[in-house]
Amino acid sequence: MNKRLMGLLAVFVLLAGMLAGCGSATTSGKDKNHIVIGAAMPVFDDKWLSYLYDGINQYDKAHKNVEVKMVDAKNDSSKQMSQVDTFITQGVDAIIINPVDTDAVEPMVNAANDANIPVIIVNRMPSKKVMKKIYAYVGSESLEAGTIQMKKVAELLGGKGDIGLMNGTLGQESVVKRTQGNKDVVKENPGMKIVREASADYQRSTGMTLMENWIQSGKHFDAIVANNDEMAIGAISALDEAGKRGNIIVAGIDGTIDALKYVKDGKLNVTAFQDANGQGKGAIEAAIDAVKGKKLKNKFINIPFQLVTKDNVDEFIKKWQK
Amino acid sequence: MGNPTSSTATAVNQGSERNLWKEKIGPFISKYGIVFVLLAMVIIMSFLSPSFLKTQNLLNIVRQISFIGIVGIGVTIVIITTGIDLSSGSVIALTSVMVASFAHPGNSLIISLLIGVGVGVACGAINGIISTKGKIPPFISTLGMMTAARGLALLYSDGRPIPNLSDPFMFLGRGVIAGIPVPIIIFALVGIVSHILLAKTKFGKYTYAIGGNVQAAKICGINVDRYLILIYIYAGLLSSIAGMLLTARVSVGQPSMGVSFELDAIAAAVIGGTSLAGGVGTIPGTIIGALIIGVLNNSLDLLGVSSYWQQILKGAIIVSAVLIDSRKNKKA
Amino acid sequence: MSEYILELENITKEFPGVKALDNIQLKIRKGSVHGLMGENGAGKSTLMKIIFGIYTPDTGIIRFKGKELKVSGPKEAVKNGISMIHQELSPVPHMTVAENIFLGREFSFGKTGWVNNKKMVEESRRLFETLNINIDPTTKMKDLSIANMQMVEIATAVSYNADLIIMDEPTSAITDKEVEQLFGIIRSLQAKGVSIIYISHKMDEIFKICDELTVFRDGQYIGTKSAKEIDENTLIQMMVGREIKQVFHKEKAELLDVILSVKNLSRKGKFQNISFELRKGEILGIAGLMGAGRTEVIECIFGIDTPDTGEIYINGKKVKIKSPEDAIKNKIALLTEDRKLTGAFLPLSIRENMIISNINRFLKGGYINKRLVKEKCNEQVELLNIKTPHLDQLIMNLSGGNQQKVLLARWLLNDPDILILDEPTRGVDVGAKSEIHKLMSKLAQQGKAVIMISSEMPEILGMSDRIIVMHEGIKKGELGREEANQEKILEIAYH
Repeated sequence: MNKRLMGLLAVFVLLAGMLAGCGSATTSGKDKNHIVIGAAMPVFDDKWLSYLYDGINQYDKAHKNVEVKMVDAKNDSSKQMSQVDTFITQGVDAIIINPVDTDAVEPMVNAANDANIPVIIVNRMPSKKVMKKIYAYVGSESLEAGTIQMKKVAELLGGKGDIGLMNGTLGQESVVKRTQGNKDVVKENPGMKIVREASADYQRSTGMTLMENWIQSGKHFDAIVANNDEMAIGAISALDEAGKRGNIIVAGIDGTIDALKYVKDGKLNVTAFQDANGQGKGAIEAAIDAVKGKKLKNKFINIPFQLVTKDNVDEFIKKWQK
Repeated sequence: MGNPTSSTATAVNQGSERNLWKEKIGPFISKYGIVFVLLAMVIIMSFLSPSFLKTQNLLNIVRQISFIGIVGIGVTIVIITTGIDLSSGSVIALTSVMVASFAHPGNSLIISLLIGVGVGVACGAINGIISTKGKIPPFISTLGMMTAARGLALLYSDGRPIPNLSDPFMFLGRGVIAGIPVPIIIFALVGIVSHILLAKTKFGKYTYAIGGNVQAAKICGINVDRYLILIYIYAGLLSSIAGMLLTARVSVGQPSMGVSFELDAIAAAVIGGTSLAGGVGTIPGTIIGALIIGVLNNSLDLLGVSSYWQQILKGAIIVSAVLIDSRKNKKA
Repeated sequence: MSEYILELENITKEFPGVKALDNIQLKIRKGSVHGLMGENGAGKSTLMKIIFGIYTPDTGIIRFKGKELKVSGPKEAVKNGISMIHQELSPVPHMTVAENIFLGREFSFGKTGWVNNKKMVEESRRLFETLNINIDPTTKMKDLSIANMQMVEIATAVSYNADLIIMDEPTSAITDKEVEQLFGIIRSLQAKGVSIIYISHKMDEIFKICDELTVFRDGQYIGTKSAKEIDENTLIQMMVGREIKQVFHKEKAELLDVILSVKNLSRKGKFQNISFELRKGEILGIAGLMGAGRTEVIECIFGIDTPDTGEIYINGKKVKIKSPEDAIKNKIALLTEDRKLTGAFLPLSIRENMIISNINRFLKGGYINKRLVKEKCNEQVELLNIKTPHLDQLIMNLSGGNQQKVLLARWLLNDPDILILDEPTRGVDVGAKSEIHKLMSKLAQQGKAVIMISSEMPEILGMSDRIIVMHEGIKKGELGREEANQEKILEIAYH
């Protein structure tokens, strides 16, 4: 019994110490020469997003008067909510949120607004109602990615052919929008047909498995269009291994370093480059602007998708090397 | 005591033809029920899709499940002791990034493999030691490992994939020997070794004994803690083998690899007749369980069934398998 | 209305491969105590489970208070006026005694679902008062002794105000004092017109309390007799189908050197200052009531627990036994008190249950040698007369007596020098019991040393060469075989 009591006491003392530490952060946060930005990120365990985080962190390192507190919500909205609450208690100067779920972001924005802390949402676009309450949204249209990706595929196929669609993790917003963009284009091209559609969880290994099974089904494909590059690379591996690549077009989205190599080798025909680093950089720049009180004309800061093919891949590879 | 089976010997002799179903066929089906489920799926599919029975497709299925299967075998042994291992998926990720960072062209394959094995053994040992010596339920200690190993994988890789693996290493995932993909060969080896271990050796008998009645096991002179630690090490080792194969297969080390693998592995074990109550389970059962998951995934992809339905069906199969299993146990 | 409260006609129940009950008849008179006898596996428990609605019979009619009764579960049985004391205790350890008694029928404030704890405690107190039981209803179940748990179980069964109470071995875990208390309760229930079905293996109890006796054997009805017109021998004959003349088979064995000597063993809160010696060829009985510390002493000898002070010598050499592993290395074997909890591996086969504590002996190049296992196990099956179709039968499908024999075989396969048997014949039928006794005697003749703990006075007196009497953690005295009798043992224990 005594042991347990001692344990509890120890935990309490520790907590008190931490709270005291937070308190000191609050005072320093009010100093305009030292800007503290809270960055609530959905999940650290994501390759593409790590480049976005880099965009923020690079800025942080380059500017001595800027301090970024970046936290991981582990894909849990309620956790993200409490992290934003913590930022507010700490009295940060601005909060960057990359929402786990854009439908759940409104209460976070309200809480920050109540404390007069400006909010910048990055990467995942919130609803129109929320857009009115935030300082800025920095991102790229997911729908647009799907559209430009499929448009290029349509062009390469000459407007007709059988398509296999690989979806990312079911239920995620990017999957819905990118796929919607894909389908919009297919509708405009009567010669094109989606013959298979299934999820490969945004994972390379699952993309590989799915493609293996599709090959075995004996279906004819002219193009495989995936919601991200990882699945596209998985499909390429499976096709190569089965010796069934032929003239099949493979397209991905994101433009990761890996994917750009595949583009350069001529294995990945199309990817849509979503400038992760640019989004991160744009977000923190917007946050600094907000702290400095700068007024924006347009709340939507678009970091546009760019189509990558073998012709222009070198310029994107250079971007990563910067 | 309610079952007056002391008279079994005499009663069986009286068994007439009408009891044939009850005494011979019934128990046979309930014992091997899960094999029939698999056979039925195969037969149905061979009618629905002409390409299902093609050699390449069958090889694909087995290769696809070999990773889950290897992990499932380790998890089966753990579950037989009434334990659980939730850390498999994260151990796969940690193995993946650590091995990938060494297995670059020009580096020794052996050293890379030793690193991978080392990761698995270390994680397993920590799981085992914390559960036994710390007297913490394995659900909790492996849950901790699940979170920590994933975090370590992210930390080590900076959250990024690690490409540029050597050809000999990638051969493990992509190579073919005598027409058979390497992952299948390794899966088969792991299966055979584990089956022998479980069915024919002291280690195996002790595993069942610990799961059957841990108090009695202690009184029978079994060093329960030592064997449990060994068992968790073995499970960790198999996770790391699966992690290396998977890394070689996708030719990149990824910290996001193996997410929810532990659940698929547990599902394979449970479908294969492993009882979460302990003391019951076999390696062939788990392999059949993994095959059922693999055939199901493959069939639904071949037929072009939507991914939403795939998940629903998978859930239904897992629960039905356990339902069959619990009825079987009630009869005993 | 008829004079019978319960009438069973032509009840048959089959399990896969076994006819558990074959055309059973049974009539229970109103206000009588009806004893049900039979070896384990005779079908008594199955029949009681049918009456209580846990099983449904394949054929046959149950008539209760003159009306045909069809119950689909225990809850309905209780509603109809039948309650049952189960053979195996099933308390919820972390709930209080009161909560356990009223489990599933808690008092609540109106329909709020809010449990009225105070009332439950009060009711429990009142119940205990009428039954003359001295237990505090607010203690947690897990803090009670097994005997007290059993008394709570009995009180619970009584609290339903049933017309028929089934008591399935109610005294298996309680001491003589509590047995008397139980009999008092039974008699007062009887006076109120309540009928009781009483199942027990203990002859003296049966004759003391029962009005009528019905015997089952191998799932068949053998007969019903008035308790007054039948004697013990006839009854046993009815039960086993053959005459067992002498219940205790103790042959004289030559007492050789001292093999085990225990000096001043103490374990705080359990026992103090225990010393004794054990010779080869000797059967040493340890008598005492439940909670006397007997099991605790042997747990320290076997390395399950460690003594605070004291020494153990084997063959004159001081040994340190820190775990059962060490004990086995010193050629000690322990048949534990609770078969299910610490003995059998229920999901495993007879074969596996037998070889588990001595696997090394069956290893050949790292593998278990199947042929050797089969040979040795079959030897034991024959030696101990274990009734089973094959070695792969799961042990949970065996009767209690056969389970016990399998566990005994497990230890015999170790070829131990010292055999410790804790309640070796508890819950074992008469036939198996005498077989186990014969075996003990044979082992002693072979020069093995045996320690036997038993709560059954006749067994202690009949089997032991020497008797140690323990009470509340203290060794009260020692008696030789010739001088010992029941009165002396009790006298030593209480003074």
